[in-house]
Amino acid sequence: MKTGFFRWSSRLSLLFLMTSCGFNSSSLAPGSLNGRYNNEQVALSGNGKWLALVTDRSGTPQLSLYNLTEQRFVDLGEINIDGAIAESPSLSRTGRYLVYISSLEGRPDIVLYDRITKRGELLTQGYKGWIRRPQISPDGRYVVFETSRRGQWNIEVLDRGPYIELDVLDGSPVTPPPQ
Amino acid sequence: MIKRNNLCFYLFLASLVTGCGGYPSIVSLPYDNRGGNINGPATETFPKIAPPYIVFISDRNGTQSVYLYNSQNRRLVDLPGLNFLDAIASSPCISEDGRYIAFVANRNGRSSIYLYDRQTQQRRNLTENLEAEVRNPSISSDGSKLVYEVARNGHWEVTIINPLQ
Repeated sequence: MKTGFFRWSSRLSLLFLMTSCGFNSSSLAPGSLNGRYNNEQVALSGNGKWLALVTDRSGTPQLSLYNLTEQRFVDLGEINIDGAIAESPSLSRTGRYLVYISSLEGRPDIVLYDRITKRGELLTQGYKGWIRRPQISPDGRYVVFETSRRGQWNIEVLDRGPYIELDVLDGSPVTPPPQ
Repeated sequence: MIKRNNLCFYLFLASLVTGCGGYPSIVSLPYDNRGGNINGPATETFPKIAPPYIVFISDRNGTQSVYLYNSQNRRLVDLPGLNFLDAIASSPCISEDGRYIAFVANRNGRSSIYLYDRQTQQRRNLTENLEAEVRNPSISSDGSKLVYEVARNGHWEVTIINPLQ
C-alpha cells in the first residue's frame, strides 16, 4: 500500500514536472520572458548565462534571476524580504555573486549575496553617505557604486580583499592570494 | 623606554594588523579639482567596473559624456569618437577585456544604444531602426551578448542581441 502510494505520487510528480517543464519552455522563452510584465534594471552575468532584473510578474516588483540558457526563473531564496526594497542588481562572471541595493526603512545599503553558500553580506554597514547603482567586478572582488559622501555624486570602490573566493570560469587557472 | 624608531615600527605593525581585518575596505581613487581624473567637483555617475577599468558618466565638460578610468596608472583613458557634442550619454557598460563600451545616447528626445569599439575607435547605433525608447544596456564579458530594455506595449521589455554581428 505504502509503496503503491509512493509509486503513484512519484508518477504524479513526474507528470507534474513534465507538464510544468513544457509550460515553462513555451511561456518563458525570451520573447515572453516579457509577456505583459514590466522588466527593469537588467544585468547580465559575464558569461551571458544569467540575467538579474526587477520584474513585477508576481504582482509587486521583485528582484529576480533568469537562466537564459534554460529559459526559466530561479529561486533567490529570501532576498525579497518584507519591508525592504531590493533593486539595482548586478552579477559577477558566472553569476555566483549577486550585488544589489537593499533599502530597509528608506536607507539604502549594498548587499552581496553568494549563490553558492546562499548567504547575504551587508557591505556598507556604517558607511557615511547615500549609495546608488552598485556593480560587482566580474571576479567578484570589487564593488563600484555612486556615493554622496562629498555632497555630490562621485564614484567609490569597495575592495572585498584578496582572500575571498573569486568567481572564475570552470577550468581557469587559479593563483593563490598574496601572502 | 621605547625609541622613536621602534615606536614608528610598532605603529606600522598595528596599522597592518587593523588593516588586515578591514575588508571590505574603500579603495582610494584620485580626486582632481579640474576634472582631469575619475572624481572631481562635477557629477560622476553610472560606474561599471572591469578591472583595471571603470567606465562612468560625468558632466564635467558641460555635456553628460562617457569617461574611462584605468586603475593601473590611475588616469583617464582617451575615447576618441565615442562621445557626441549634442547628446546626453548614460548607462555605459564595458566588456571584460575593456574593448567594447555600450551606452545610451539621448538626442532630441530620442534614445539609442551605441556600441563603441576601442580597437577600431568606431561607434555604431545598435537600435537605429527601433521606434521606441531604450535604456540600461548590459554586456557580457566577451561582448557577444547585450541586453537592454525597450519601452513597448506600455512596459519595459528585455531584448537580447549579439552586438558584434
